[in-house]
Amino acid sequence: MAKRCSTYAVLAGFLLVGTAGVSQAAASMDELEKSTADKAFAAAAKGKPNPAWKGQTFTIATLAAGPRGAISGPLYFWKPYFEKLTGATYRVVEIAFGDMQAKIETDFASGAGQYDAVVGGQFMMGDYVANDWIIPIDKYLNDPSYPKMDLDSIAPAYKALDRWGDHWYAFNNDHDGMILYYRRDLFNDKKWQDQFQAKYKYALPNPPKTWQQLLDVASFFNSVEWNGPGKEHQGISLHLKVGEQGFFDFLSIAAPYVVSTPGGNPKKVTRFHNVFWFDPTDMKPLVNTAPFVKALETEIALYKAGSSAQLSWALGEAWNAFLGGQAAMCYSFGDVTPLAESAANSVIKGKVAASPTPGSTEVWDFQSKKWVKASGANLVGNVDGASWSGVISRKAKNPDLVAYFLAWQGTPEINHWNTTWGFTGINPGTKYDFFAPFGTAKVEDYVNAGYDRQDAIDYVNAYQKQDFEYPLQLPYLRIPGTPAYLESLDVHISEALSGHVSAQEALNRIASDWDEITDRLGRDKQVKFYREAIGYTGG
Amino acid sequence: MSTTLEARGSEGDGAGGTSRRRSYHLHAWSFTAPGVVWVFAFTIFPLAHTLYLSLQSTGLGGNRFVGLRNFVRLWRDYRFWSALRLTLTFVAVSVVVTVVVGTVLALAVNRGVRGTRVFRTLSILPMFAAPIALGYLGLTIFYQQGGPINNVLAAVGLRPVPWLSDGRWALVSILAVDVWQWTPFVFLVVLAALQNVPAELLEAARIETSSSWPVLTRITFPLIRGPLGTVIILRIVEAFKVFDIPFTLTNGGPGLATRSLTYDVYTTGLRNQNFGYAASIAVVMLVLVMVVAIVFYRSYGSTYE
Repeated sequence: MAKRCSTYAVLAGFLLVGTAGVSQAAASMDELEKSTADKAFAAAAKGKPNPAWKGQTFTIATLAAGPRGAISGPLYFWKPYFEKLTGATYRVVEIAFGDMQAKIETDFASGAGQYDAVVGGQFMMGDYVANDWIIPIDKYLNDPSYPKMDLDSIAPAYKALDRWGDHWYAFNNDHDGMILYYRRDLFNDKKWQDQFQAKYKYALPNPPKTWQQLLDVASFFNSVEWNGPGKEHQGISLHLKVGEQGFFDFLSIAAPYVVSTPGGNPKKVTRFHNVFWFDPTDMKPLVNTAPFVKALETEIALYKAGSSAQLSWALGEAWNAFLGGQAAMCYSFGDVTPLAESAANSVIKGKVAASPTPGSTEVWDFQSKKWVKASGANLVGNVDGASWSGVISRKAKNPDLVAYFLAWQGTPEINHWNTTWGFTGINPGTKYDFFAPFGTAKVEDYVNAGYDRQDAIDYVNAYQKQDFEYPLQLPYLRIPGTPAYLESLDVHISEALSGHVSAQEALNRIASDWDEITDRLGRDKQVKFYREAIGYTGG
Repeated sequence: MSTTLEARGSEGDGAGGTSRRRSYHLHAWSFTAPGVVWVFAFTIFPLAHTLYLSLQSTGLGGNRFVGLRNFVRLWRDYRFWSALRLTLTFVAVSVVVTVVVGTVLALAVNRGVRGTRVFRTLSILPMFAAPIALGYLGLTIFYQQGGPINNVLAAVGLRPVPWLSDGRWALVSILAVDVWQWTPFVFLVVLAALQNVPAELLEAARIETSSSWPVLTRITFPLIRGPLGTVIILRIVEAFKVFDIPFTLTNGGPGLATRSLTYDVYTTGLRNQNFGYAASIAVVMLVLVMVVAIVFYRSYGSTYE
């Protein structure tokens, strides 16, 4: 009994010491978080807040993730600072991802005016603008009374999302895009390099440059016990649950097979080049053509190089598999490295390499309807994801106050602070997030927020390369009806992945649904919106 | 009613009679008006508006009349047929299992087994939980990697079950949560009905036969036929409306594997902003439930007369 008591005492001692150590570390991180936020607050432009705003309240609708969760987290975090700055305050209304369109668009369409602002997905922009539900924000951008955002710093692909036609509608905030995360320790391990070489007859690519290479690597790591005998060892972890954000995985794979350059100006949009979703002349869906079939077949093969549970995984579960050391790779939004560095369940801090998403060795030519060999790899960047940004409702009771808040959140100091602290879910996409000589950020900005130095460098450079150096970009769908188009894509991709229908049949179903949606909304109007959205002027 | 009123009116004479009649009418209207307003506001108007919407197409800039085109489209819409198939399967399995299990439990408890009071209290707990909460709880229980059920299966050497990532197992999962929630309801109502069966009748029957089966089928069941019928029709209507559990547990997936008709109405109407088409699905669903209810009451109606 005495022995058992002493054992318990020793265990309790370890626990106490351990807990004390953990709480000390947490306390020091809390202090660091507070002190760096105070500095960012002090340095950020503040304009001239109107004294009449004192005591006023407005409402922001945003993603449901809680006070320390992605996107909603920074709104809660900065609230006391905002109250101190203006004497005004705001309510945060959290809405689950799958309900965002339903709740926000119903509020706007009915004119209920429950939400003064939305920090929401950019894919709703077409509906907002076409229905005149939000106001343009141009007048606030150069008004000295409002905090000044550095618009020139924003990567062009994200800047385009904030605008529609000649006007700005969204304030700078989040910059989503998918990149590849992989285990540096595994890829640098000679044992796995040799085994891969023996099996696939080429060197283990570090990082994979094409989707075919990525598939080989995922299949390889799914087949060897790299995580120790009897332990989970998946090649990849994907978030494929229907009704979540799984369809973005497919878009990233499809991008290099579909998007091609006309030559000359690589970014010029023609009927056959730099297009992805529809033929810009008649809105005929391209989704059931050969390159999309290839992409979906690749995704089906990739799904088999991971857990079968992926079909029920939302973002959190897929990230957890990677953070918990069960998966060798994961390609997703910009939250993975920040979480790997800070989440309590992460066992991979210091081991997370990152690179832009892979390309393809061939690309479909929509004009000749043939595959064309790419020189090297066809690399296409993406801004897949929601790129959560603030817009102001036309029914806002005090749009000036809302604009002040959203502009203040978009200032370089606050926005960069949000980027460096993982819990915020705000991802890099501006020059002040990137390192010299390209940008003005320092590795220490990230190291001070708890990052491993090499992890931070790989992560930030992957985004910088994809945002600024990739020659082509996957066009973002944001025309009216986008939620409906994406819902169809989401459901039928899931049908193909679950083996319910073939890749071609799933894509045919999507094309048929998209035609129905386009006809319902008015094909002529949709052609006009689509051309505006992708910058097609003919040719 | 009018005959009675006229008869009463004729009893009076002159101005006094007219005044009494008016006062009577006023009283009658003041008592019935709230009910009439309620029915118009919350039943007739929504129904009429849904019917009106089902004949519209929702495009940019508002609705336009399309006649029966939405209903024609339903016939070739595989999403609708998939949701209908899923809903009918769900209704059939869920109603049969909850009614059978709930009745068997009620019969067992009615025999006065020890600890029935505790069992009765514990068993009805799921009934008081919000379906959406049960769905999220199910998400934890059916979690494929490291969820409690798969952990138990692994402990006894069985392979993990893809509860939420395989279409058929996902249907089993939502059925399991639904059965868990609704069996106590059946149990409680049937138990109450069993306790109202006169004891002397059962004792007399037991003198006539040593087997309990004839007592059950010829005495007990006929006597609880009314409450049992009510339970069955309520369960059918409730199961037709299933939404919260697939919404929280599977998002209707994988693919369309667990998307019910109500889920389809929600997605089509609120997420995709296609109110006209969503209304046409809702109308078909209403007709279906009405047909089932009419067929049920035709075969069961004498019990309530």
